[in-house]
Amino acid sequence: MTDRILTVRMEAHPTDSHTMARYEATGGYAALRKALAMKPEDIVAEVKASNLRGRGGAGFPTGVKWGFLAPTRPRYLVINADESEPGTFKDRQLLERDPHQLLEGIIISSFAIDAHHAFVFVRGEYPRSARRLQQAVEEARAAGYLGRGILGTGFDLDVTVHLGAGAYICGEETAALNSLEGRRGEPRIKPPFPAVAGLYAKPTIVNNVETIANIPWIVMNGGAAYNAIGPEGSRGTRLLSLSGHVANPGNYEIVMGMSWRDLIFGIGGGIPNGKALKCWIPGGASAPWFTPDLLDTPVTLDDIAKNGSMAGSGAVVVMDETTNVVAAAWSIVRFFSHESCGQCTPCREGTTWLQRILERILAGQGRPSDVDLLLDVCDNISPGLRWPPAQTTICPLGPSAVSPITSIMKHFRDEVVAMIPGAVTAGV
Amino acid sequence: MSDPIKLTVDGREVTAPGGQLLIKAAEEHGTYIPRFCWHPRMKPVGMCRMCLVEVEGPRGKVLVTSCTTPVAEGMVVHTKSDVVKKAQEGVLEFLLVNHPLDCPVCDKGGECPLQDQTLSHGPGESRFVEEKRHFEKPIAISELVMLDRERCILCARCTRFSDEISGDPLIEFIDRGNHTQINTFPDEPFASYFSGNTVQICPVGALTATPYRFRARPWDLEAVESTCPQCSVGCRVSVQASQNQVLRLIGVDVDATNQGWLCDKGRFAFEHLRAPARLSTPLVRGADGELHEAGWGEALDLIASRIGAVIAERGPAAVAGLGGARSTNEEAYAFGKLLRGVLGTGNLDASLGDDPGAALLAGVPHRATIDDLERAKTILVWGPDLKEELPVLHLRVRRAATALGADVVVVHPRATGLDRDAAHVVRYRPGEGAATLQRLAAGEGDLAAVRAALDTGPVVAIVGRTGLAESADLADAVAAFALTLADAKVMPVARRGNVLGAIDMGVHPHLLPGRVAASDAAARAALAAAWGCAVAVPGRDTSGILSGMADGSIAAVLLLGCDPVADHPDRKAAAAAFDKAPFLVSLDLFLNESNRTADVVLPVDTFTEVEGTMTNLEGRVQKSNRIVPGVGASRPVVEILEDLAARLGGSIGAGAAAIAKEIALVAPAYAAVSWEALDWGRGRDGIVVAEGPFTHTPERRATDPSVGALTLHLGRVLYDGGTMITAGPSLARLAPEPAAHLHPDDASRLGFAAGDRVTVTGNAGSAAMAVAIDPTLARGTVYLPFNLGASIGNGLEVKVEK
Amino acid sequence: MTWPDTTLARARDIIARYPEPRSAVMPLLYVAMRHDGRLTDEGMRQVAALTGMTAVQVESVASFYSMYKRHVGSHVVSVCTSISCHLLGGRDVLAAVSDATGVPAGETSADGSVTIESVECIGACGGAPAVQVDYELIEGVTPDKGAELCRWLMTAHPEVVHGDDLQTRFGGRRSFPAGPPDPVGAMGPYPAFGPLGTTGGEA
Ligand SMILES: Cc1cc2nc3c(=O)[nH]c(=O)nc-3n(C[C@H](O)[C@H](O)[C@H](O)COP(=O)(O)O)c2cc1C
Ligand code: SF4
Ligand code: SF4
Ligand code: SF4
Ligand code: FES
Ligand code: FES
Repeated sequence: MTDRILTVRMEAHPTDSHTMARYEATGGYAALRKALAMKPEDIVAEVKASNLRGRGGAGFPTGVKWGFLAPTRPRYLVINADESEPGTFKDRQLLERDPHQLLEGIIISSFAIDAHHAFVFVRGEYPRSARRLQQAVEEARAAGYLGRGILGTGFDLDVTVHLGAGAYICGEETAALNSLEGRRGEPRIKPPFPAVAGLYAKPTIVNNVETIANIPWIVMNGGAAYNAIGPEGSRGTRLLSLSGHVANPGNYEIVMGMSWRDLIFGIGGGIPNGKALKCWIPGGASAPWFTPDLLDTPVTLDDIAKNGSMAGSGAVVVMDETTNVVAAAWSIVRFFSHESCGQCTPCREGTTWLQRILERILAGQGRPSDVDLLLDVCDNISPGLRWPPAQTTICPLGPSAVSPITSIMKHFRDEVVAMIPGAVTAGV
Repeated sequence: MSDPIKLTVDGREVTAPGGQLLIKAAEEHGTYIPRFCWHPRMKPVGMCRMCLVEVEGPRGKVLVTSCTTPVAEGMVVHTKSDVVKKAQEGVLEFLLVNHPLDCPVCDKGGECPLQDQTLSHGPGESRFVEEKRHFEKPIAISELVMLDRERCILCARCTRFSDEISGDPLIEFIDRGNHTQINTFPDEPFASYFSGNTVQICPVGALTATPYRFRARPWDLEAVESTCPQCSVGCRVSVQASQNQVLRLIGVDVDATNQGWLCDKGRFAFEHLRAPARLSTPLVRGADGELHEAGWGEALDLIASRIGAVIAERGPAAVAGLGGARSTNEEAYAFGKLLRGVLGTGNLDASLGDDPGAALLAGVPHRATIDDLERAKTILVWGPDLKEELPVLHLRVRRAATALGADVVVVHPRATGLDRDAAHVVRYRPGEGAATLQRLAAGEGDLAAVRAALDTGPVVAIVGRTGLAESADLADAVAAFALTLADAKVMPVARRGNVLGAIDMGVHPHLLPGRVAASDAAARAALAAAWGCAVAVPGRDTSGILSGMADGSIAAVLLLGCDPVADHPDRKAAAAAFDKAPFLVSLDLFLNESNRTADVVLPVDTFTEVEGTMTNLEGRVQKSNRIVPGVGASRPVVEILEDLAARLGGSIGAGAAAIAKEIALVAPAYAAVSWEALDWGRGRDGIVVAEGPFTHTPERRATDPSVGALTLHLGRVLYDGGTMITAGPSLARLAPEPAAHLHPDDASRLGFAAGDRVTVTGNAGSAAMAVAIDPTLARGTVYLPFNLGASIGNGLEVKVEK
Repeated sequence: MTWPDTTLARARDIIARYPEPRSAVMPLLYVAMRHDGRLTDEGMRQVAALTGMTAVQVESVASFYSMYKRHVGSHVVSVCTSISCHLLGGRDVLAAVSDATGVPAGETSADGSVTIESVECIGACGGAPAVQVDYELIEGVTPDKGAELCRWLMTAHPEVVHGDDLQTRFGGRRSFPAGPPDPVGAMGPYPAFGPLGTTGGEA
């Protein structure tokens, strides 16, 4: 059975997997030819049958999302290549090493949803990715895969590669749309969802790079074949970014369902320097942390959720026993505070406040009341401190800043308290 | 909004229109949800998060912002649950984290929702022990507005207003996240005609208005509702005063007119009320040729004897009255009654030759209301640049275009404030208006699409004088054309605050009070019976009076709040008339170009000092109220006129209230109007008087004169040399320098560049000024703003030379 | 219009890639930075004129994003301190870089040659700690290599930097095999991307 879809070509052809010549020589654009002969709604049906779930973070079923499109025209496809969640670097590999795979997915998806202009929002810090993709677009246009009357059909498509400029929040889909419209990258209130009123208030599909890179394979092999890979709820393969205190950091395309132990100690090669594992973040900086008691639980979307976190963007950040968890949490909270768009009072003020309390604690100037204060400020951003989180904010960024704090309070409260002069360990 | 639905708010079932925002629906049923960013006249942004409530959903209760959530059938809402309270307290605490809490020195202190809500919702003391965010304390972002970024709570009301409502986005959020601040672009101040609204809607004391800063504490203010007299839109205002001094004006939200907004002229012009130059005692010209302070008895005796002498020697036709367009209806009526009844002259006019004509203003059939713009599909604007002359009407048209989907067609010699939002823009050269109208009516050439757009009704046609060099006949012809359109209504517009009211009160040679033709002998007889004295036959209008003054046939003139030398489009003719020095009496606030040569100048009480009514451009009668006394010895106009009438053996009525009742009796169109009705309930929105009985049939009689290579567009700007502007310190400095604007092609043909000094010569003289380049001008046109101190006449022919 | 015709032509090409001119504001801001070496009032006015926005609307957009910089040297050195780099010594690299240049994070050297900044995750966490020079990536940077990199920038004053070259000279472990070298070089404190005209010195 297939266990890799996205990384086969780049591994087999390390020097030219990004070129049109290699792409075509390895079966590229055959899926497009096949798709153009299909009815668009049949392509949507295949994607639905594949049970492909979005790889951007929320894990929403892609075919279902496409089915929500409002009937009006024009429609747009926006590819989210803003990958900025700390720990995540998988989309960069797909963009740099196999841009045609993504592009073929874009053309097929556009045809399926009747979009004639697609945008790829590439984060500004990925100029090489943008260049490789732009080159692919130009090659594809020259080869008749893009432009007017693609491959002799009546289908027209333009692809614009758009470079961001340093704002994580543009990864949030409606912020990306505002940014593409030439506005501040502030998330919009939903509903309306982009499928109803997106770019220029027109029906728009926003999908992640990895999500769309799967489309050519699904069209070639059928939705059922894709749905046969991996456990229920986590079909297909998934590109995980492994980083932090692991011997073999990197991107790994895996079929989900293996245990965390197999991932961190098998694929990841374990913790370097003979250190012990302290904890890990299972799905990007926004996700609550896991501790070694969960090492033998399966790596699937549903199991991670059941255990109180999320698979998110597929970023696994490993921390060894030497890690100062308050400093680690501070790094993440500072990230969210820095990246808050500033619209919502609780996120704008709350994340910064949390950051400053942590800074005080790290400087040895914590106060005994800070432990409760941290949690109460968190509670005012994400009431009840539940999972999945409730929010007093427009988008989930604010509540994301709560995850590291609730994580350290839950698992390492004593370490936090020990850093605060005069605070007494609960001693439970 | 769709059919009514039922929802449950805090356990109580209520009904609301489907789609209405929850925050509004709750409020209408007595549940006030706290808010900062939501404003009922702007799109919700859900940013402050103060209005969080819980709504029951399939997966339990969810916190949502009630300002962004539409009500739906069966919705169950909790606005006071523990979770809601905690969330709201949390938001408040977050807002206060960086707030300086300098309430004791903040203009907003005492009327600040942040301060109030802190008291009623917020936690006691601050748990925030770190250093607060610092910005340079208030910075001037325009001549009128100061910004204190430390107080700003980033609610985006000001930025939304300037983008969405006024369409001049000159203030914006800068930076991101916790560093976000409001600011202007370096060297581009917040120069908007509507900037004061942002001060009004800023929920905290971040934006303050220079004319009001530190002038009073809200709890010291008394307030009264009134009507802005600065232009004929007639915006509702709350006039706020302390210690007998007006300190600020706040827009009142009424659907009919201003929807809460004011223009900065209307908002800040009150400064002229206490200007040092304001007249506070009667002045009488002495033997030395100078004006000297005098007592009321002396001044009025002199007027009575001199006018009595003129009438005795030359008959009442040698007496004339001008003005009333800035007065209340009651004052204008008293003025008309004094002239027509007591003095027996039909020489009276409130319009100064700068409007589309009294017949059209008072008599147009199918008159549109401002609110008709809410339903219009197509709006034709062929008249003044509304932004410059009738600013809040401009906002209403803009709203129709940008938020309600109406197609706006603008016909004007140069770019107007509406062009950016217009579906069609037609340019023409002054002097080619009639031909342009003909081509438009026929849908010729490039005008075919414009003509087609006008076929989609309902149509509202806003018609007035595009400029003062063009004949008023053109407006009449445009109105005639507009009335041929399907489902069309016409709104004839003039600028001065109560011009329609004054005409309606009979300050016009051909109209008696209540839009009755003065030529109708039976109507005159009926009025004579009511007045108990004869009613004069029709006499001269403004230009007739001016020429009568010039040729000596008019020997005595009364001016009521009117300065023809400055305001008449043909300033040279007006000046010549006043040079002849007939016996001249002026009732006014200031000395001006016309009354400098007066024999008697009488100081009058004005807006905020007298009670009365005004009639706006829709024919909507609204109440003006008194909150402060006049200055020094100034007196109400009606009392002055009654004293004068008594000295001349007549009477015009005892006081404005009595006159108001008399108006309802003798002026058919005003029969339904009373002060009582206007002071209470829905009457506070005003009463639109019925059309007729006088009806004007606009005719197509405009013709184009033959003109040379350059024609004059004499347009008006909001801040000009008018006394209301120049008397107050804040607005006076906003008036632009006069300049001769040329299309770049004309400029290069003539060899001029921007900034060159040139001499512009018109039919009444020359003036030196700088050249400005305006690519939006119709070719062959010289645009000169009116009343900025450079006067060359109002003929179409114009020359520009080095 | 103060931009030369070729730049204006490029701006118009960029605007034509979008359904509405306002959408081009972000790419045009890069063009403006390329023209002036940094973000300027004049550049923003130019972008405003091209997109039909007011200048303050352009500034509002520009200031939202961290890569449009008003105060910046010839090269910008961005040291990642987000979680994965934080765990593997990103802050030590930052400290070494500041020491070597005498420039604290967020500031520019007196000679205007480099700006040092601490940035959030740049998508190279598998090769942490990571650094970018003009958004060209170097992974597996040690404090010493970071210091050496800065000294080189400040003495050699390279007009153009090439990512692969930097990686070879100053980097270590990468997040993933990079594939063949990329010939494009970056010229200044903005990303090198062909359609924007911001690339330089192609090898
Ligand atoms: C704060 C925030 C940041 C996000 N960043 C990204 C991102 O960098 N890339 C991405 O694809 N999706 C990101 N998302 C998720 C997107 O909003 C959206 O769900 C996704 O692009 C949809 O694509 P998918 O269905 O293919 O996953 C982010 C969401 C949030 C709330
Ligand atoms: S939660 Fe934070 S990032 Fe999201 S919209 Fe609100 S302020 Fe912006
Ligand atoms: S200045 Fe006032 S209105 Fe504007 S965002 Fe700040 S608080 Fe709101
Ligand atoms: S629009 Fe006219 S009536 Fe309204 S505030 Fe301005 S001047 Fe006054
Ligand atoms: S009032 Fe609803 S979010 Fe501000
Ligand atoms: S955390 Fe440094 S590159 Fe991702």
